[in-house]
Amino acid sequence: MPLANTATSVPVVVDEDKCIADKGCTVCVDVCPLDVLRISDLTGKAYMKYDECWYCMPCEADCPTGAVTVNIPYLLK
Amino acid sequence: MDDIRSGLSEVECDVLIIGGGTAGPMAAYKARKKNPDATVILLEKANVKRSGAISMGMDGLNNAVIPGHSTPEQYTKEITIANDGICDQAAVYKYAQNCYGIIQELDQFGIRFQKDENGEYDVKKVHHMGAYVLPMPNGETVKKALYRQLRRMRVLISNRFMATRLLTGKSGRAAGAIAVNTRSGEFLVIKAKAVIMCMGAAGRLGLPTSGYLFGTYENAANSGEGYAMAYHAGAKLANLECFQINPLIKDYNGPACAYVAGPFGGYTANSQNERFIECDYWSGQMMQEFYNELTSGKGPVYLKLNHLHEDTANHIEQILHTVERPTRGRFHDGRGTRYARDMIEMHISEIGFCSGHSASGVYVDEFARTTIPGLYAAGDMASVPHNYMLGAFTNGAVAGEDAIDFAAQVDFEDYDGEAIAAEQERVLAPTRREDGIPPNQIEYKIRRLVNDYLQPPKVTKKYEICQSRLAEVREDMQNAMIARDAHELMRATEVASILDCADMAAFASLFRQESRWGLYHWRVDHPERNEEQWKCHVLLSKQDGAMACEKHPIQPYIIPIADDEKDAYYNQRIQAQA
Amino acid sequence: MVLQPFEDFSDVEDLAAGLADNDPAVRRVAVMELADTAAPEAIEYIGSALRDESAEVRLQAAIALGEFDGPEAAAALGLGLQDGDQRVAQAAADSLAELKDPQAATQILPLTRHDSAFVRAGALRGLKELRSPNALTCGLKALGDPEPGVRVQAIGVVGYLKPDEALPALIGCCRDISAEVRRTAVGALAFSASPHVADALVGALRDEDWAVRETAAEVLGRSGFRKAADPLMALLDDSYWQVRLKAVRSLGQLKAVKAVHVIAAALDHQIGNLRKEAAAALGEIADSAALVYLEKLVDDPDPEVRKNVRWALSRIAG
Repeated sequence: MPLANTATSVPVVVDEDKCIADKGCTVCVDVCPLDVLRISDLTGKAYMKYDECWYCMPCEADCPTGAVTVNIPYLLK
Repeated sequence: MDDIRSGLSEVECDVLIIGGGTAGPMAAYKARKKNPDATVILLEKANVKRSGAISMGMDGLNNAVIPGHSTPEQYTKEITIANDGICDQAAVYKYAQNCYGIIQELDQFGIRFQKDENGEYDVKKVHHMGAYVLPMPNGETVKKALYRQLRRMRVLISNRFMATRLLTGKSGRAAGAIAVNTRSGEFLVIKAKAVIMCMGAAGRLGLPTSGYLFGTYENAANSGEGYAMAYHAGAKLANLECFQINPLIKDYNGPACAYVAGPFGGYTANSQNERFIECDYWSGQMMQEFYNELTSGKGPVYLKLNHLHEDTANHIEQILHTVERPTRGRFHDGRGTRYARDMIEMHISEIGFCSGHSASGVYVDEFARTTIPGLYAAGDMASVPHNYMLGAFTNGAVAGEDAIDFAAQVDFEDYDGEAIAAEQERVLAPTRREDGIPPNQIEYKIRRLVNDYLQPPKVTKKYEICQSRLAEVREDMQNAMIARDAHELMRATEVASILDCADMAAFASLFRQESRWGLYHWRVDHPERNEEQWKCHVLLSKQDGAMACEKHPIQPYIIPIADDEKDAYYNQRIQAQA
Repeated sequence: MVLQPFEDFSDVEDLAAGLADNDPAVRRVAVMELADTAAPEAIEYIGSALRDESAEVRLQAAIALGEFDGPEAAAALGLGLQDGDQRVAQAAADSLAELKDPQAATQILPLTRHDSAFVRAGALRGLKELRSPNALTCGLKALGDPEPGVRVQAIGVVGYLKPDEALPALIGCCRDISAEVRRTAVGALAFSASPHVADALVGALRDEDWAVRETAAEVLGRSGFRKAADPLMALLDDSYWQVRLKAVRSLGQLKAVKAVHVIAAALDHQIGNLRKEAAAALGEIADSAALVYLEKLVDDPDPEVRKNVRWALSRIAG
């Protein structure tokens, strides 16, 4: 069975102007219990790669620059 | 990152702790503290800094046994009654005796418990008999404080490694574990003289009503590996039919925290603004009352704070929106609900295994020892009933101290080398396929079936249908599941645990032919509690490759329960006659 | 590539090299990594970051020091508390409140005399949990501070130490112009059985602020001041039910038989919380005069009320 590319809106949003992942910061990626954040090879900034969020908030709480916002996933909002 | 690499390393330690949430860090800390020469490894699927049920902390203790407020005897009695008599009291009593010392130790770690203006613990009385509630106003720092202690104690922390199977030796003793890196697919074999499992609840068993796979009551990372691994290693698991079902804020699916609101005067109400819960201590009977109200003409059910002074309601809101599940405030903002003005709609959670709130877990004694020599379990996955966060800390400490002594007396146990290769093949199978069914679809299907057929009320025929449907899904999982990167491989491996847990939930429930623990094991075609036949544990284990259940006697009570107290929970339901 | 399965215990000096980088974001990352080591040698480096030209780096350092303890961390945080950037100063105040080591007190004490009220309050807040007897003099002095926020923290320091010699000053604070100061002082008096304390608490039952009245009612019951029964009974007319609830509970704790009839009046209140507490108090007092009232409530719609009524009836019968 071939796979499709189905779009999904992700709850974690990163403000790229504030994110300092390109300076060596990996805090949000490190603390995520579900391991859904990554640092983009293209931009050097953090982003949500997998839509598997427990909206628990360590990524936002521990981000040193206030770049991360956790929204409530649309399905339960 | 996430590309699958091949690799296999091996390390050795005296004590291996699997799971760095609540019980695990405490076990590791205590083991190293007791024997600073020993090597202790703490393995964690996520990152110890923010993993497990308390990744964002906890807003309070609801089972603190503090001198002057309650006694170990009283607490043990309370839990025995709340768990419908199915309770080996030794472990509960030991917890009740030890937990105050653990509170003081956590306090020294920098974890803040609420104190009055004279610096005394500000214990709140919520229950009818003892006072067990101790708020934690700055509880969001719990994990950080634990992490600090682990670093100072020089525990070897191994993050992003997911244990997949335990290793046992020829004599049946624990020999270590095999783990896979969740970002590279590389394997790590950890040889250990003793192993402590602290792997949390099986929280991804039922499907939340929102349909969002990760919108679970429990931390969604707690997918039940501990239960599945203990099963495959041959350990016995107790009372898995005693499901966990919790009250929660509807759709948000996070705890409503009646224990936080209770001391301030908040409560759970029906749509007519009335209290309806008659049970005192949290129990399956309480959940039955909740369920009955939800499905009655007086439903739905609400968290009610809007009768309190606005300052009081706002104060509670501030606590609830900072600790444990802080996105709750954002959820209410989106809905436009304010605690001071509105009642907050509640619901019940999907089912799971979790001794923290109920009693389903790997069978352990008062030393946290499982039925496999050298294998321990603590926290939400071990069978000590109703032990919550403080129980995880306290029993984790017990496990760490006992395991480090055990390790000093034994040598490494040889394990079967072929087991490593076979396990690698099992785990990597989904990566060998060109196309197939992704893990999320298999998981969704299992959990949808769990909701359709296994969620109480339990009906025998529906359970049998579920078993055959789950067997079909197992074939798909084994023959067609595909994982395209290391992250998906982690999910694929979790799916296997979820399926094992669903099978165990069905099997154990069918074995116990009575109703007990209120909603948790409400069998519609066996509606009565049967003390003569079923006042015993049900232990599930793997026998000759297949699931089997047996009855197991309850240890004689240390704290006797008088006849008129036995049914305290039933008797408390003083119906209004009008 | 060889798999590195464990978090390393990196050399603090290596990590500290990042503090010299030109880019403030890199310096900030270095501060976080130093904090993660939890190694006491890191304190000195993180402390030096509190003198960084970038407020962001200083902020990170103030947060990071909350992970450490002892006089060295306290000294560095004292510097942070005086930072010109309010975010840095606030973070330093929060981190100071995390300290546990009583030896840290020496470093913090001088700051209780600082020109800035923010610094004084932050220093006192940090001292509270340390429970250092050396802090008593400073705490007592600060009870007369011109700023209410400082006085509240000073009550915390003194209240945790519980010295009898502080009673006159604490009693004085029960008449403070700030309601928060009064409420905190009333709470802090719970350790003493002195008749002067009882008088002060009774006086606070007539406070204009409901939270002060509520706390006073609660403390009077907890401390077992029998002579408070009459004023607590008078408080059952209070305009606010949460205050009446505490008064009822305290009358129960005091086993005030003469209060039975006035407590019984609360059994009719529309809010179940108050009915429940009234039933429980009547059970505590266990006087047969309550029977006639309690029997009317055996079918109350609220299960908590029914439970407590039943319990009260059994107490009176037994």
